[in-house]
Amino acid sequence: MVRYLRTSLTLIWREIESNFYSPLSYIVLTVFLVLNGWSFKDSLPAAQWVVSDAIRYFLGLSPMCWLATIFIPPLLTMRLLSEERKSGTIETLMTAPVTETQVIFAKYAGALFFYIFLWSPSLIYIIIIKRYGAVPDNGVIFSSYCGVFLLGSSLIALGVFTSSFSANQIVGAITALILNLLVFFIPYFSDFLPWAGVRRTLQQLWVYRHFQDSFSKGVIDTFHLVYYLGLTTFFLFLAVRSLEARKWR
Amino acid sequence: MITITDLTKRFYDVVALDRISFEVGRDEVVGFLGPNGAGKSTTLKILTSFIPATSGSARVAGFDVFSQSLDVRRAVGYLPEHVALYTDMRVSEYLNFRGRIKGLGGKALRLRIATVLELCALTDMTSRIVGQLSKGYRQRVGLADALLSNPPILLLDEPTGGLDPNQRREVRQLVARLGEEHTVLLSSHVLAEVESMCSRVIIIQKGRIVADGKLDDLVTDLKGGRRVFIEAGCPVETLEAACRAFRPEPEIIESGGRETGSFLAVPPLDDAQRTRFLRHLVDKDVPVREFRVDSYTLEEIYMKVTLAQDGALESAPVAAEGEQE
Repeated sequence: MVRYLRTSLTLIWREIESNFYSPLSYIVLTVFLVLNGWSFKDSLPAAQWVVSDAIRYFLGLSPMCWLATIFIPPLLTMRLLSEERKSGTIETLMTAPVTETQVIFAKYAGALFFYIFLWSPSLIYIIIIKRYGAVPDNGVIFSSYCGVFLLGSSLIALGVFTSSFSANQIVGAITALILNLLVFFIPYFSDFLPWAGVRRTLQQLWVYRHFQDSFSKGVIDTFHLVYYLGLTTFFLFLAVRSLEARKWR
Repeated sequence: MITITDLTKRFYDVVALDRISFEVGRDEVVGFLGPNGAGKSTTLKILTSFIPATSGSARVAGFDVFSQSLDVRRAVGYLPEHVALYTDMRVSEYLNFRGRIKGLGGKALRLRIATVLELCALTDMTSRIVGQLSKGYRQRVGLADALLSNPPILLLDEPTGGLDPNQRREVRQLVARLGEEHTVLLSSHVLAEVESMCSRVIIIQKGRIVADGKLDDLVTDLKGGRRVFIEAGCPVETLEAACRAFRPEPEIIESGGRETGSFLAVPPLDDAQRTRFLRHLVDKDVPVREFRVDSYTLEEIYMKVTLAQDGALESAPVAAEGEQE
């Protein structure tokens, strides 16, 4: 057990490190900071009246924030498994005494770490708002960050899964992007469906509404928690199976 | 240490391995020979649990490769055919990472890294970035990684591939040294190397084992393994005629040559006959330049067994064509 954990930590640390070795990470970082800054700029007018509105806008409701959350995870995850496949390091890795679960979880954890790292400079904006605006509600800040984290976690898991399909990074990235858009917009188009039950269920799954109704209001709904953690687990499970798939051929 | 029983591997409808069985004992150094695509790498990949077999079983160090894959991987040091390393790390970082995922740590790992760096002549390269190393050095890093946990079994897929002659000699010497304390199964298609490193050879062809045994035994099995080789300064016809005149008439295994010189090989004769044969040739005025008893080389054995297989598979249609004419 101790050995298992130690090996996992080694793998996770390697993934975290490799993010900082990759030039792509710095491009992602730059793009993300631009989007984030833009989103902050847009939220400032709101801050003049109600500070918590600014935070709500900045962390969850602004279009820039959505652009970042949809496009950034595929960029972080696209190389994870496809690169190992393409360069053949997957053979070196999987012939060492490590399990598929350990490898997938390490990839996920490494990307999630970088995702959190991307969001960490946004704390500066929060501090600025706190300095110059009124004192915002800490609960809203916390729940908004929770929402951003949970959403990122599930989209990263999805990206890890799609990157396991093929040795081509682009295939993984585009598949992830399409699935991300589906996760976002399918419930949005549910109005066209004739079945009321299905319509209601799909609307419950609309990510934007999760933010509007709860995360941005300082509420963490158990249903949402279960939904995002469930998505994460589901896609990580699929990724493990996909990595094991070489054994079925 | 390695036991393979009726191992079969099919990729869709291509049969890569067809019910192969063999055993490798403790501290044996076995060469796994065969043409490209014969199934050498596939066998090694199955032995490292990287891919499963379609049927049959394989046990490594007493563990089943399918159900006890982690134990198998702990007992095995594997050098893949295409050595793929994380190119963004330094050599020392890479070995440190690999050591940790193999369950080493602390002082033991540091000592072990120093040892393998020494063994693989990488001591000066520790701070180099793996991506900037030449093919030969990458191969050495791969080998160092395989040796890192000091596993009892080493599976080396073409350990000398892509190396220059000096590096190849170093690797040969290293493998010979390792063979004293490790069980080694290495694949290659460079025969001279297998000959110098391995005491036993398994020849595989189209997924089947066509020869398996001690190198000396294989040599002996093949028509006694020895032959009498004659070189003479006359046309080959003269040499052949003189040879046929000898009683009992020897079978001519091989002959050839030009106006100025020719050669001929016959099966080995006993000592008395050999003396008589040489005297017979001299009496016939054959200008013999060389007369020696020769052993088959591994190369000839390899060609014989692999071509014999091909021949057996193709002889039927060839005969049919002959009849039509």
